Amino acid sequence: MDLEPNKKFVVPIGPQHPALKEPGHFEFAVDGEIVTGATVRLGFVHRGIEKSAESRTYVQNLYLMERVCGICSHVHGTAFTIGVEHLAGVTVPPRANAIRVLVAELERIHSHMLWLGVAAHEGGFDTLFMYSWRDREKVMDILEEISGNRVHYSANVIGGVKFDISEEQRGKILSSLDFLEERTRHYLKVVNEDETFLGRTVGVGIMTREQAESLGAVGPTARASGVERDIRVDAPYAGYEQFPVRMITDTRGDLHARFVVRIEELFEAYRVIREILDHMPEGELTARVPRRIPAGETISRVEAPRGELLYYIKSNGTDMPERVKVRTPSLCNWGSITSVAVGHKLADMPMLLVGIDPCFSCNDRTITIKSAGVDLGWTWEDLRQHGIEAYR
Amino acid sequence: MNNISLPPLVALLVFPGGLFLMALGLAYEYIDRKLVARFQNRLGPRWFQPLADLVKLLAKEEIIPDGVHRGLFIILPVIAVAGALTAALYTPLAGFMPAYSFPGDLVVTLYLLSVMTLSMGLAGANTADRFSLIGATRTLTQLFSYEAPFLLALLGPAIAAGSWQISTINLYAENNRWMIFTQPVGFIVAIIGLMGKLELPPFDAPEAETEIVAGALTEYSGRGYALFRLGKDIELVIGLTLVSAFYLGGLANPLEFLLKTLALLLVVAALQSLFARLRIDQTVGLWWRAGAILGLVQLAVIIAGSSWLRPLLFK
Amino acid sequence: MSIGSMLGDILKSFFKKPATEKYPFERYEPSQNLRGKLVYNPEKCSGCQLCIKDCPADAIELLVVDKANKRFVMRYHTDRCTFCGQCIESCRFECLNMTGEQWELASLKKEPFEVYYGRDEDIQFLLDRAAQPGTGEPCGGEGEGA
Ligand code: SF4
Ligand code: SF4
Repeated sequence: MDLEPNKKFVVPIGPQHPALKEPGHFEFAVDGEIVTGATVRLGFVHRGIEKSAESRTYVQNLYLMERVCGICSHVHGTAFTIGVEHLAGVTVPPRANAIRVLVAELERIHSHMLWLGVAAHEGGFDTLFMYSWRDREKVMDILEEISGNRVHYSANVIGGVKFDISEEQRGKILSSLDFLEERTRHYLKVVNEDETFLGRTVGVGIMTREQAESLGAVGPTARASGVERDIRVDAPYAGYEQFPVRMITDTRGDLHARFVVRIEELFEAYRVIREILDHMPEGELTARVPRRIPAGETISRVEAPRGELLYYIKSNGTDMPERVKVRTPSLCNWGSITSVAVGHKLADMPMLLVGIDPCFSCNDRTITIKSAGVDLGWTWEDLRQHGIEAYR
Repeated sequence: MNNISLPPLVALLVFPGGLFLMALGLAYEYIDRKLVARFQNRLGPRWFQPLADLVKLLAKEEIIPDGVHRGLFIILPVIAVAGALTAALYTPLAGFMPAYSFPGDLVVTLYLLSVMTLSMGLAGANTADRFSLIGATRTLTQLFSYEAPFLLALLGPAIAAGSWQISTINLYAENNRWMIFTQPVGFIVAIIGLMGKLELPPFDAPEAETEIVAGALTEYSGRGYALFRLGKDIELVIGLTLVSAFYLGGLANPLEFLLKTLALLLVVAALQSLFARLRIDQTVGLWWRAGAILGLVQLAVIIAGSSWLRPLLFK
Repeated sequence: MSIGSMLGDILKSFFKKPATEKYPFERYEPSQNLRGKLVYNPEKCSGCQLCIKDCPADAIELLVVDKANKRFVMRYHTDRCTFCGQCIESCRFECLNMTGEQWELASLKKEPFEVYYGRDEDIQFLLDRAAQPGTGEPCGGEGEGA
């Protein structure tokens, strides 16, 4: 959308702004309180991860990829290992697959509860924020208990997982889940019933099914608009074949629907985790994978808490990948903000932004700069020069 | 109610105005923050935190941004605090007789309290910053919407007492049934009006940090910001004093003052932690649709009651 | 539809202890499985360097004192380590482990971030050699190619 700065009153949000936990830049043209135009500018946290992946071994890359995102680190690791295992033609033992799913679902719980808090905070509901983050500590404790780390669990190794779930840990997880389930039920009630909160969410930022499909939205954002799209169901990976999940959708497409979908997904996660703990397959934790991965290319997809995460890996037969391409879910969902924002109140913008659960640092990767429709090839020196000019 | 007579200068600078009021304001800010924290299952600040904030801000450089009217930028915080401090002179602070009192001081006090909000709005409009401008618009919008219901809510007791003088109403409240029971609607409107006036959550749209950073005060730093905050703290004390004097059976002595205002603060803190922030259009809608109408209905009942029913009830 | 559906929560919290952890006054008791500081046991080490090759953060170095007699010293940079546990996974002789107790590794100085593991006399030998002028790094040249 074109903005004419001379004619319109433009409210800049970011790159430094209390509503944004990560840097991004948004310009909202407003008429009084009503937004008439919106633009997004990303790329403030480009870290060159894909390039650096080319000079590291597969084993080292696993940990690099985990650090693409601080919230959903496990799914990045999983997507990468699944790709590498596929290239190497290795089958992962079923127990390892189950543990991968277990950690992935725990991560989903932690991510959705984090989101619930952030979204409530953007809506000025700090009490809900504090409570959901307090309860989220329980999941973090479980993850620490089983993996040893609270944030980057590093559960995967290429060919399997690092740790097993002991009987004692199983008990701890189950009792924490009971607590969490009860709290989640309470939050669902708050989100569904609190008058002030409903005033901020119902009917705000409606994205129709058609819009969601044409914009290519993914994850809970798309599912809240009635698009049935969930990699765990559409193309089950790791242990999801053995432990299937139910897809949660809603047809309303507004902010409230996104709250409901994410909270309902929490219940589904609790169910799947219990299922896994009750029917844990026996067997090995790792399969042997050669250090040199046979030449070839592959695409692996997993369902991150924010939506479909896609990895492309190209191998040239050495122990380092030739190319790794990551497409994170947030990237697919930006379009929904710019197209839905118009006509809403400025006060709705932070909630609308956070409604897609954006993760800026994840999606800031390569940029192609187009000039007058011509795709310019940039050399390293050009890029360097551009960087110097742009930030002068 | 005790009456103390102090030399005017002491009354202005130390008690009940000036230092005492500032200290009380900081203490109440602390209690408010601590209560909200406890409601949210947090630890909350330590007792000296508001004072430490104030001292830190005062010690900092005040940056005067480009494009502002310098004189206004500097004088507005002073006017805000002066307005709040002056208003205190007419209220029965700490359960003592107001330092100054004359028939009709209720109206003057209410206007003095608005001076603070008005200066904040002007301060925002004075700068070229976009967050400030939007914050200023919202502050002033909110000023127009809560002023009427809050006034109506405080008029109820005034009419019941048959006076426009705060001390007389206070005296009347002491000697009659608590007006929270006789005029419950007025009490609710008064509390919400107070929260709107102080821009406390959920009525904090004018300074909603996730939207417009700090609203009208975004460009303020150092001394100016410190003064505005101090002004708000003082207004909190005055507002609590007024509402509890009118609705909670008057303030006869310091102990009663403490108990009643703190009880009121507890309610205000709970309300702050219960709701999601209202958008500015929701705030305005709530006021004009619910607040003002409720206030008017209440008023009509009181007027009717005091002219026809009083002879029946109180004879 | 209701107003203030969190009333129950806030009233309960008012009488409850805050959830805030009072670190550093009250130390959090971590799980036994916590991945804390890495420890190295030189007795079993074969000097294969697989751990070093796989470490994504270049946090560990193996300094060779005497290759034939399997005398190695490990230099561990706590500040670079990401606590991923890959080195433990890579080592086939179980020389490496992570401690659950030592996790408060912050420091204002640089020295505590460089930890030497090995037999005392080997470490001393290396440090002495490093102290001599002109030799530079304690590992010298021969440590690398091993
Ligand atoms: S834990 Fe990871 S980062 Fe630390 S030394 Fe081992 S391999 Fe390297
Ligand atoms: S992998 Fe184990 S045996 Fe090999 S060098 Fe490292 S610590 Fe020694």
